[in-house]
Amino acid sequence: MTKASMTHTPIPAIAATLIGAILIVSLSIFMGSYWTVVALNLFMWIALTQSWSLFSGMTGYISLGHVVAYGIGAYLVATTFKIIPLWLSIPLGGLAAGVFALIVAIPVLRVRGPYFVILTFGLAELVKFILLYTETTFGKSSRLLFGAPKTETLLYWVAALAVVATLITYFVGRSRFGKGLAAVREDETAAETVGVPVTRLKVLAFAASAVIPGMVGGLMTMRSTYFDVLQVFNPTISFSIVTMAIIGGAGDARGPILGALFMLGLAELLWSTAPQLYFILLGLFLIGFVLFAPNGMIGLIKRRKRSSAGVAS
Amino acid sequence: MLKKIAQGLALAAALSLPTAVQAADTLKIGYSIAKTGLFSQAAPSQVNAYDLWAEQVNAAGGLDVAGVKHPIELVWYDDESDPVKSAQIYERLISDDKVDLLLAPWGTPHHLNVAGVVEQHGFPMVGNTAGSVAIREVEPGNIWFPTAVLPDRIGPALADMLAAHGVKSVSIIANVLPFSQENLQFLVPALEKANIEIKMNESYPPDIKDMTPLLTQMKSADADAVIALTYPSDAFLYTGQAKELGIKTPYQFLLIGPTIAAYKDAFGPVADGIITLGHWTPKQKDWPRAQPFFDAYVAKYGSAPDYLDSALAYMSCEILQQAVAKAGLDHDKLREVISNDTFDTINGPVKFKGVENIITPSAFLQIQKGDMELVWPKSIATADLIKR
Repeated sequence: MTKASMTHTPIPAIAATLIGAILIVSLSIFMGSYWTVVALNLFMWIALTQSWSLFSGMTGYISLGHVVAYGIGAYLVATTFKIIPLWLSIPLGGLAAGVFALIVAIPVLRVRGPYFVILTFGLAELVKFILLYTETTFGKSSRLLFGAPKTETLLYWVAALAVVATLITYFVGRSRFGKGLAAVREDETAAETVGVPVTRLKVLAFAASAVIPGMVGGLMTMRSTYFDVLQVFNPTISFSIVTMAIIGGAGDARGPILGALFMLGLAELLWSTAPQLYFILLGLFLIGFVLFAPNGMIGLIKRRKRSSAGVAS
Repeated sequence: MLKKIAQGLALAAALSLPTAVQAADTLKIGYSIAKTGLFSQAAPSQVNAYDLWAEQVNAAGGLDVAGVKHPIELVWYDDESDPVKSAQIYERLISDDKVDLLLAPWGTPHHLNVAGVVEQHGFPMVGNTAGSVAIREVEPGNIWFPTAVLPDRIGPALADMLAAHGVKSVSIIANVLPFSQENLQFLVPALEKANIEIKMNESYPPDIKDMTPLLTQMKSADADAVIALTYPSDAFLYTGQAKELGIKTPYQFLLIGPTIAAYKDAFGPVADGIITLGHWTPKQKDWPRAQPFFDAYVAKYGSAPDYLDSALAYMSCEILQQAVAKAGLDHDKLREVISNDTFDTINGPVKFKGVENIITPSAFLQIQKGDMELVWPKSIATADLIKR
């Protein structure tokens, strides 16, 4: 995986991603039901962080409200459960999240920096409370979702979405579209001046980055037998995505994978024995990466490669 | 790289086993609890009851498993108030830690998330602190709910109690969180049926910090009774601000909060006359196990148990204990015994039909001179409902 994206042909990258996913899926199923759930969570975070990276990593617009896409997908799937089949409701959840992002993109993307961060967070909270109010008004304060697919089935789907999200980030990063987004990140005004259609690129990336989280939200709500709005619009989901992107490194398809693996590995090591230590360490790592490795683990790897190449030459 | 990850994960599992060395016949009983996060204030009431029960069982020589006594050990993890994490923990307790028995987590969302896991593994678990009509949608057979706190039973019972005491009008305020809203949904038609006028019906956000506008409106509505469908934190807020604003409505009902010892400690005589949800009190002499539980709890923790959550948690342990004494640890036999037998608990007899306790009625408590008295229904009441 690591070498793949450094080469010019995409085939090794695709092969590495697919083989990696298949190995983790097989290993987790072999290790038993608890590890199947751990793998499901791993792929969920990879898919979410890759999607976040597609917009925020590439453009530098830091969204703190990515959970809104996850929540919209989950809401659509939960409210239509046993009314329309899952093979239809899951993609519709992704579509609904994408359409929502498209509608709000124009006003939201007018602001930048800290204002954008606060606005995205506020928007997610706004949608959460509107849906909570709607649910309670119609006397549906919670929903039970019995008869959902087995964990293994959900694992296959979420793993597939993680693979697709990884490949999208990889290919967009290599494309003209990705170069345009990078130009927005480096200097939006200059990019616009030289003819980069910044608004169109930003809106497209913003909408595209919501589709997979919408589908993941729909699938993950099937994992739980209980649905309520507060659970699927939990802002912690947004915070975790940003944390994984910072630690792993955004703007490169390998970053979110490293970030998700690192955070889940740390969590699995510590949550049962020393949960407080987990949060302390996470805080320290976060500060450490922001201060000393702003491009995350992937930035460190690249730096190391450059310096060893320098020594070799 | 993948091999290293697998090794790391396997090592993590080995390191995180809660107990490395155990007595050969010690039984492990697992649960998850909100040690941190949004519900961490509520969870100690339940954990204290579990710890007290385990201590009493071990002091008596262990848990009777079909005639053979085994010491017990509680294995728990912090679910960080996250219901999804709770489900993951039960998955681990069952498949990795291989616990012998399960106790329940705290709260309705956690119970209902865990319901899917215990159903998938066919592992019986007696629930406790869940209160929603949604529990009836759970497939019977692996989870049971001893609670009488079910909104479609509470609404009509509350309307009946108020009507029986001559209440002609009420003001309602309700938290927008699920349990309050579910109660509101069944309360309004019940009040209308009892010909009680609803002078005010307002909902408020979960993290409300100031109720003054709502309470001012309530004061001017001047109804015979106040029904505040609260969660614990807003029950505290209501009581403090209602006192400041001089609300002297003779009947004031708060949904959740007043059963916690800290509520009475915080408000003292101001809390007198407050009515709340609850179907247990040590003062009911027909339940001989009730007072010993209360005394043991106070002796161990120095404060009264939560009349709702601690009592329900302890009841669930009693039911499990009696079922295991008869059926042993075999899941099929346990399921059959829990589904069909009648259990003797601190709250009197309990029997399940489907997932629901069909003996204990929905009931109300009132703080009277610092004590919690059952005031409704008459069949289990320990005192009459009085005006504040």
